[in-house]
Amino acid sequence: MKRVLIVTSASVTLVAIAAPRAQPGPEEPGAPAATAGSGSDLDSGSAAGSGSGSAAPANPYVDVPVEPPKPVKPPRMRDPRINMPEVLTTPTGWLLPAAVLYSRTALDTGGGLSSDNRVGLGDVAEFGIATTDRVRARAVPGAQTDQIEPYVTATFRMGVAESRLFPQQPGLVLGFVKSFERNHDGFMTRIAELTVVQSKHIGARTAIHLGAAFWDASLKGATTDTSLHDRATHTIGDQIRAFGGLEVHPLPRSEILIDLGWSPEFCYGCAGRDQIQLRPQLSWGVRYEVADWMHLESGVRIPDIGAANLLDAQIFGQVTFTSWALRHAVDDLK
Amino acid sequence: MRSVALLGILAASTAAADDRQPDATLGHIFRGPFGSSRLFSMPTADVIGAYIISISGDGSLLQDPGRLTSAAVIAIGFGDLAQLEYRETAAISVTGVDAPVPAAGVQLKLPLPEGAYVPALGVALRVGVARREQFAATSVDESVHDFYAVSRERLGALVLHGGLRISSAHIVLGGDRMFSLQRTLYLPTAGAEIVMNREARLVGEATAAPEFHWRGAMVPGAPEDPTIGYGLLARLGVRWRLFPSVTLDATLGYQLAESPAQGDGPRDVVSAWDIRLGAEVFVPWGALACRAAGAFCD
Repeated sequence: MKRVLIVTSASVTLVAIAAPRAQPGPEEPGAPAATAGSGSDLDSGSAAGSGSGSAAPANPYVDVPVEPPKPVKPPRMRDPRINMPEVLTTPTGWLLPAAVLYSRTALDTGGGLSSDNRVGLGDVAEFGIATTDRVRARAVPGAQTDQIEPYVTATFRMGVAESRLFPQQPGLVLGFVKSFERNHDGFMTRIAELTVVQSKHIGARTAIHLGAAFWDASLKGATTDTSLHDRATHTIGDQIRAFGGLEVHPLPRSEILIDLGWSPEFCYGCAGRDQIQLRPQLSWGVRYEVADWMHLESGVRIPDIGAANLLDAQIFGQVTFTSWALRHAVDDLK
Repeated sequence: MRSVALLGILAASTAAADDRQPDATLGHIFRGPFGSSRLFSMPTADVIGAYIISISGDGSLLQDPGRLTSAAVIAIGFGDLAQLEYRETAAISVTGVDAPVPAAGVQLKLPLPEGAYVPALGVALRVGVARREQFAATSVDESVHDFYAVSRERLGALVLHGGLRISSAHIVLGGDRMFSLQRTLYLPTAGAEIVMNREARLVGEATAAPEFHWRGAMVPGAPEDPTIGYGLLARLGVRWRLFPSVTLDATLGYQLAESPAQGDGPRDVVSAWDIRLGAEVFVPWGALACRAAGAFCD
């Protein structure tokens, strides 16, 4: 008899412990609401009928609509580092990734303001619109040169990413820059540049860029109609130039940059070859990565290093923004 | 009457397109896949497919400063082997610009079994509509009728295209001067695609195109009669499938004119080279009509 009592009391104790756990807790999914009126009609009726004002006990046989849990979005991978499409003034053999936006604004002590906006196309090309302050003009021989600005250009570049075809393959890009027609002091000018450039990382901290450019420019005025491709005035050698640059990463977020490029110079009052000439331009400076999406660049630019005129040197500062937002939006829409 | 004719054309589309279901979602409908029937300006041996409309366009502000030079194609799939289209076919006008000449036509894919080293073949017929330009008191009408035969061969990631365009080009002067000239031209075309990734292809094409010359367009009162020759139009660029139903085109274009007065060849970068941007949008009208009105369902 004593054994029966012990077994019975143990069973009651176990049931008493287990019974509350058979109902879901108020914080658990599927738990009935604790306030009257927010449950089912049946529950509300029971509560009203009891007259006690307290919440009615849940009816486990009534289906309570349960919202399916929202699918959890996997965290987005960190966007990879972008290899910039320009060193300081010369193009690189790297392209922007697909749908990545790039915007660079620069200001220099010569009063020049330039802007460059691009978008990556399909990981194999990019398109951009820019205003450049590199095109210069002088009225007569020996006069001071002035920047022609804004000088609006369009850019299209296409190519193959570094190590895409084989392990040590440099990035290879065919680029084309062409300006809209610009009226300055009564003279209409246009420029165009075809480039082939290759870029290669050498180790983890250095990259080198080498390229060749095929230039053209035209100048039309009251009595002037000439161009760089006019063989009566210029040889083909006047159109072809080599350019290049070097990047060194001494610190994880900082780079030292140097490049040598070319820019056209018009002379309205000159004759023959002097009307349109390409001037070598040397730039050096640093790039600091403020954030993944923002870089600051500053340095020195000598518009005509061939004349060794350091008084003409300009100190420039520029800020570059890159954004993956469009890429993410496109990926999400897909 | 026009709507009856349109319905007749639509109903005559014999082949079934995928996913023409009343309960298909828009996302499902626009997921494709869609196939293009062109490279940039060169037609290929493919058609866009039944119950689909393709709308294409591109333009450049750089070729002729201050003026948008543009081209467009509207194609409607007519069964799995044909498409009707309206396009502005490539020709070089008397002003030296690659000014497209309007044309309407049909493009057919020959129903041959495809296999390794067996190219796909297609033909296209285009009837040109005269494009009029006015120079002082003289009007110039240019039109081009074309017959195209093109082939396509896939070699892994490389796709080769080749063809012959037989063009009947007309130029007519009116107004204060009467003149008419017609010439038949045999113009080769070639193109290549390299599939770079799932969404992008590098595409190059070189096509010979009719070229109209008339010195009077440049020098008012010039006594010379118009002539018809041919020029080379080449484009190199990317076709990027931004979404399955939207493809963006960006190209570097080159135009070699036969006339020395219209450009100085490849070295004339400021005149003969340009950048063109464009897009092709596919509209699966059959699936949309099925979803909206229950018509044309599979």
